[in-house]
Amino acid sequence: MKILVLNCGSSSIKYQLFNMIDRKVIAKGGIEKLGMKGSFLKHTRHDGQTVIFEGEILDHKIGVEYILGVLTSAKHGCLKTLSEIDAVGHRVVHGGERFNSSVLLTDEVLSEVTKCIDIAPLHNPPNLRGIQAMEELIPGIPQVGVFDTAFHQTMEPKAYMYGIPYTLYKKYGIRRYGFHGTSHRYVSKRACDVLGVDYYTQKIITCHLGNGASITAIKNGKSIDTSMGFTPIEGLVMGTRSGDLDVGVVHFIMEKEEIGIKSASTLFNKHAGMLGITGISSDMREIEMAAANGNERATLALEMYNYRVKKYIGSYIAALGGLDILVMTGGIGENADTTREGVLSGLEYLGINIDFEKNKGFRKEGLISSSDSKVKVIVVPTDEELMIALDTEQIVSEGKKL
Amino acid sequence: MPSEVIYEPIEDFGLSERSRNKTLFSKIGVVGCGLVGQNIARVASFYGIEVVFIEVNEEKIREAYKNIEKVLDERIEHWGITLGEKRAILSRIKGTLDYHDLKGCDFVIEAIRAVDRGGKIKERKEIFRKIEEVVDPECIIATHSTTIVITELSSDLKYRDRCISLHFFVNHQEARIIEVVRGLYTTDDSYQKVCKFVALINRKIIPVQESAGLVSVRIFVVMLNEACEVLMEGISNIEDVDQLMRIGFGMRLGPFELADKMGLDKVLRWMDNIYNEFGDVRYKPNPYLRRLVRAKHFGVESGEGFYKYDENSRRILTSDRKGC
Repeated sequence: MKILVLNCGSSSIKYQLFNMIDRKVIAKGGIEKLGMKGSFLKHTRHDGQTVIFEGEILDHKIGVEYILGVLTSAKHGCLKTLSEIDAVGHRVVHGGERFNSSVLLTDEVLSEVTKCIDIAPLHNPPNLRGIQAMEELIPGIPQVGVFDTAFHQTMEPKAYMYGIPYTLYKKYGIRRYGFHGTSHRYVSKRACDVLGVDYYTQKIITCHLGNGASITAIKNGKSIDTSMGFTPIEGLVMGTRSGDLDVGVVHFIMEKEEIGIKSASTLFNKHAGMLGITGISSDMREIEMAAANGNERATLALEMYNYRVKKYIGSYIAALGGLDILVMTGGIGENADTTREGVLSGLEYLGINIDFEKNKGFRKEGLISSSDSKVKVIVVPTDEELMIALDTEQIVSEGKKL
Repeated sequence: MPSEVIYEPIEDFGLSERSRNKTLFSKIGVVGCGLVGQNIARVASFYGIEVVFIEVNEEKIREAYKNIEKVLDERIEHWGITLGEKRAILSRIKGTLDYHDLKGCDFVIEAIRAVDRGGKIKERKEIFRKIEEVVDPECIIATHSTTIVITELSSDLKYRDRCISLHFFVNHQEARIIEVVRGLYTTDDSYQKVCKFVALINRKIIPVQESAGLVSVRIFVVMLNEACEVLMEGISNIEDVDQLMRIGFGMRLGPFELADKMGLDKVLRWMDNIYNEFGDVRYKPNPYLRRLVRAKHFGVESGEGFYKYDENSRRILTSDRKGC
């Protein structure tokens, strides 16, 4: 079975084509600057050759069409005909309260996803356009939606409700939804596979630390709490997002700086976080370099970053009533040994003992805790695309909901 | 593993011919880059459109760039955009003296400065003619005029079905609305195209019938005239009138603040034009306004209008008055 995984953003489309027999990626790539000047498609062939296709890519439909065109082209493709693609799996950002697992995209499901546009105005529309484009180009192909929020639907009301008037929850669905669900689900399961333990009896904390970052508490295979909320701003300090913030600060700034809702949103989403604190960059490597050169704000930002993650780990251990496995993933979690050290040191009394020697320069899947550590600390590179492909395969072959 | 990246034109890899279509509105032109022209250029570029603007000399081109950059810097300062976005916006805007650079534009708008045009229809007809010489017959040619009618402007053109009048609101950035006027010759096709363009730059369209002053300007000048009348009669003062309208009617700016921002010379010219067109005294410029313009108190831009402003265009507050 061959499955195409699509991740349609507002100005980008990422894709990976999987052969499910060996779960290997046959081809992958992405379109950037979709609908803008200088748009291009970057494709990596099976033999590792990179090809860049330049030209106007106006919208998602044309983008998807080019992707299919490249995949079936004699020169750079790997498929003879489109009919070789058995199913398509889509990343869908927001499933609202309706979807707690991946689902076959029927007309009825699509109309439900459309209803979620209100709470995910930036993300769901491009997701939907990708799905529609695919239906138009390969009519009748089975398509599966894998929701970023679905994994966290197991949270209890006490974890997902905000301390605001209940009517606002009823009226607009304002509550915590959480994101990165596919990643948290994948790495937590994968960690259990690697360690050879039963996923459904473990207390796990997964730290997805990338440009966007979130942390999730998982008990017996269920997400019980996660750091992102109604939007991805909540929680950890991120590359350009502020993370947790006193609401009072928001209106104070809006009043003092005389800015409106849109500017405020840009401020907290794009000017804040590591970029805002350091004034240098949102990139961890550049910040670490600046800190090494004695930049005080870079040092401060790194300390804040680590401290916030540590605080969340502590609170989630309390929420879980203990901890068996701690997973590090995402660009930073997988590669930044100094961040891991900064976050995980001094937690021995909680049973977290890091093998700091092993941790240094560790950039692959495997344990970084010492052999006597009560809590197993493991690095697992995330693979949301594979997870989407696996869900799609299962749903399509069973012909029903997971 | 091969290391060299291969480059290919993407058009050869579509599934159908349809994909070879050229993007509509990937490039637009602006003739005259004063306050309005700068605003249009900046907004269009923000939404990823390449902009060519025509000016009369190098000095004016530099000035336009400088002002656009200043506004973008302000927006960064007020958290509206990021530094990277500013660079991208500026890179898409190109100033030139040569009309031939408008070649390939799908949309050209004439927005010459009010001072330069002085209501002279002849000059603007000439500009329309020059634009038509270089662009394709399908290219929309628009004017940013509120008091001169598009039918008259387009009457000498070869393809006058593609002419239309647009009125942008440049007084504050949240004013995402545009008045669009179809001329006698304007076809549905051209109108639909303009709707597409307006949607691209995230604005709302209000269709208006051809009439001097459109809707917004006509109503505004009457309000300002009445506000001046209130001053002249000694019923109230500038600040109180503005405050009443702002707070009482939930307007963002009172009539005097608004007029200062628009430029009193421009407002006066609007009034004269509309008054000439309709002959109704409601539109006849109030003497108070005329006096200010004669004294070259044009508003924010000149540092003084109904209010006084510092070099950063911030209002100098007179603190001696306090409400009771």
